[in-house]
Amino acid sequence: MVDVLILLGSFLILCMIGMPVAYTLGLAAIIGSLWIDVPLEAVMIQISSGVNSFSLLAIPFFVLAGAIMAEGGMAVRLVNLARIFFGAIRGGLALVNVLASTFFSGVSGSSVADTASIGSVLIPQMVKQGYPKVFATNVTICGSVQAVLIPPSHNAVLYSLAAGGTISVAQLFMAGFLPGILFGACVMGLCLILSYRRGYPKGEPVTLRQAGKIAVEAIWGLVTVFIILGGILSGVFTPTESAAVACLYAFIVTMFVYRDYRWAELPMLLHRVTKMVAMVMMLIGFSAAFGYMMALMQVPAKATTFFVSVASNKYELLLMINILLIALGTFMDMAPMILICTPILLPVILKFGIDPVHFGMILLVNSGIGLITPPVGPTLFVGCAIGKVTMEEVSKELWPFYGAMCAALAIVTYVPALSLWLPNLLTK
Amino acid sequence: MNLKAAYARAMEMLYLACIVVSAISLVLITLVIPYGVFMRYVMNSAASWPEPFAVLAMVLFSFVGGAAAYRANVHICVQMLTNAVNPVMRGWLAKLADLGMIAIALFMLYFGAQLVKVTMGQTIAEFPSLSVGITYLPIPLGGLFTLLFILERLWIGPPPPGSIMYRDQPLAE
Repeated sequence: MVDVLILLGSFLILCMIGMPVAYTLGLAAIIGSLWIDVPLEAVMIQISSGVNSFSLLAIPFFVLAGAIMAEGGMAVRLVNLARIFFGAIRGGLALVNVLASTFFSGVSGSSVADTASIGSVLIPQMVKQGYPKVFATNVTICGSVQAVLIPPSHNAVLYSLAAGGTISVAQLFMAGFLPGILFGACVMGLCLILSYRRGYPKGEPVTLRQAGKIAVEAIWGLVTVFIILGGILSGVFTPTESAAVACLYAFIVTMFVYRDYRWAELPMLLHRVTKMVAMVMMLIGFSAAFGYMMALMQVPAKATTFFVSVASNKYELLLMINILLIALGTFMDMAPMILICTPILLPVILKFGIDPVHFGMILLVNSGIGLITPPVGPTLFVGCAIGKVTMEEVSKELWPFYGAMCAALAIVTYVPALSLWLPNLLTK
Repeated sequence: MNLKAAYARAMEMLYLACIVVSAISLVLITLVIPYGVFMRYVMNSAASWPEPFAVLAMVLFSFVGGAAAYRANVHICVQMLTNAVNPVMRGWLAKLADLGMIAIALFMLYFGAQLVKVTMGQTIAEFPSLSVGITYLPIPLGGLFTLLFILERLWIGPPPPGSIMYRDQPLAE
C-alpha cells in the first residue's frame, strides 16, 4: 500500500505545485520506480512506446481537421443550418446555439473548439437580440459538451488507447451518438423552459428558398461525418485513416470550396495545432509510464478489491464512480482524467459485468461535465473569454444547466441500451 | 549584445525550429496516410512504408513539439493551489515546479540517449538503412530542448510579449 501512496501522492503533490500534468505523470513514475527498484530504463521504454502506436495518429488528425473546420467558416454555415429548425420560436437562438453545437460536434469532436467557433458567432448575436450575456455564454458552453460524445470524439480514441486498444473505436463512435443527442436535448429543454419563463425573444423564420441555399452550403462540411463514420463502418478505412482523409477533405473544402480562409492564416493554425497536439502526445507518452507503474503496483487490482468491498451491486458502483469522476473533473482536465482513470476503473467495471463501451460513455459524460466546472474547466474559460463575462458570473447561473446535465448523466449511466443499441446494431 | 540577450535570441530560434519541424511532420503524416489509402484502393498496390513513416514522424513531433509547448506554456497545469497562496509562496512553488521539470528533462536526456545508444545497431524492416536508435533520437533531443527552455525561464524569465511564441493568433480583419 505504501508504494501506491508514494506513486499517487507524488503525482498529486507535483500537480499541486503547478508542474505540467504530463511531466508530473513522468516524474511520479520515476519516483515510483525508484521506490520499488524498477530500472529507469524500463520507464523510458514505456514512455517511448506510449507514443509509438499507429492508432494514436487519429488524435492529431481529428484535432487538425476540427481546427480547419472551426476556423474555415464551417461554424457560420452550421449555425445557419440550425436556424432553419428553431429560428422562429421563443428562445430560438438559444436552441439554434445548442443544435449548431450538435452539428459542429460531428466535425470537430472537441468541446473547446465548439465553444470557440459557435460562441464567437452566436454569443454576440444572442446579446444583440436581448439575451443576457451570461445566459448566452452558459448555453454555448453547456451545448458544446456534446462534442465529447458525438463522433468523431478524439476523447473516445483516447479512451480506447487508455484501455490498451481492447475497445473498438468504431463501437465507441457509434455508442456516443444517442447519449450526445440526449445531452443536447436536455440542454435544449432547459433553454426552452428558461426562455418562456424569462420571456426571451423569438427569432425570425427562414423561408424555404433560404433554407435550401443554407442546406446546400452546409452539406459540404457535414460530408466529413459520413467520410469518417461511413469509412470506418464499411471497413474501407481504419479510424486513423478515416481521420487523415477527413483532415485532407476539410482542408480542400475550406480552401477551395468555401474559400473564406486566407492562406496566410495557415501557418498560424498549424502553429496552434502543433503545440496543442504535442502537449496531448506528451501526456499520452508519460501516462503510459505512469500506467505501467500502476500495473506493477497492482493499483487496478487493489481498486477492484476496494470497490467490491463497498458496493453491493453495479448500480451502487456506478453511483460511486460518477461521484468520484465528477469530483475529479472539477480540478482535472479531460485527457489526463481519461488516461489515469481508465486503467484503474476498467477492471472494476468488468468485475461488476458492466460493458466497457457503456462505461466509456459514462466516463466521457463525467469528464465532459468537468470541462465546465470551476476551478479547472477549459471550456468554461474559453466561453467566458468569448462571452466577455467573469467565471463567477457564469458559475452562479450554471446550476440549472448542471441539473440538466446530471439528468442526462443519470440516463446514460442507468440505461445502457442508450449507448449500446447503435453499436450492436451497426457493427454486428 | 550581452549574454542574456544572445541566449534569449537563441531560444527564440530554437523554439521556431521546434515548431517548424513539428508542423512539417504533422503535414507529412496527414499526406502519407491518405496516400497509403489511395495506393491500396485505387492503384491496387499497397505501400508498406506510410504507416511506419507516420509513426516515426509522430514520435518526432511529440517530443520536439512537446518542448516548444513547454516554452509556450500550453501544457495543462493544476493551478488551484498556486492561485490560492500569496505571491511569495507562489514563487517558491514555481521554483519547486522548475526543479521537477529539470529532473524530468534530465531523465529524458540521459535515459533517452541510453535508449538511442542501445538500439543504434538495430534496423527497421521497412527502412533498412535507418537505425532504430535514430527513431528514438527525438526523446533526448526533446529533453535537451526542454532543459534549455527551463534555463531560459529561470535565468531570463518568461519570453517577452513580442516573442515569436505569441504569433499564432488569427490575423486581424
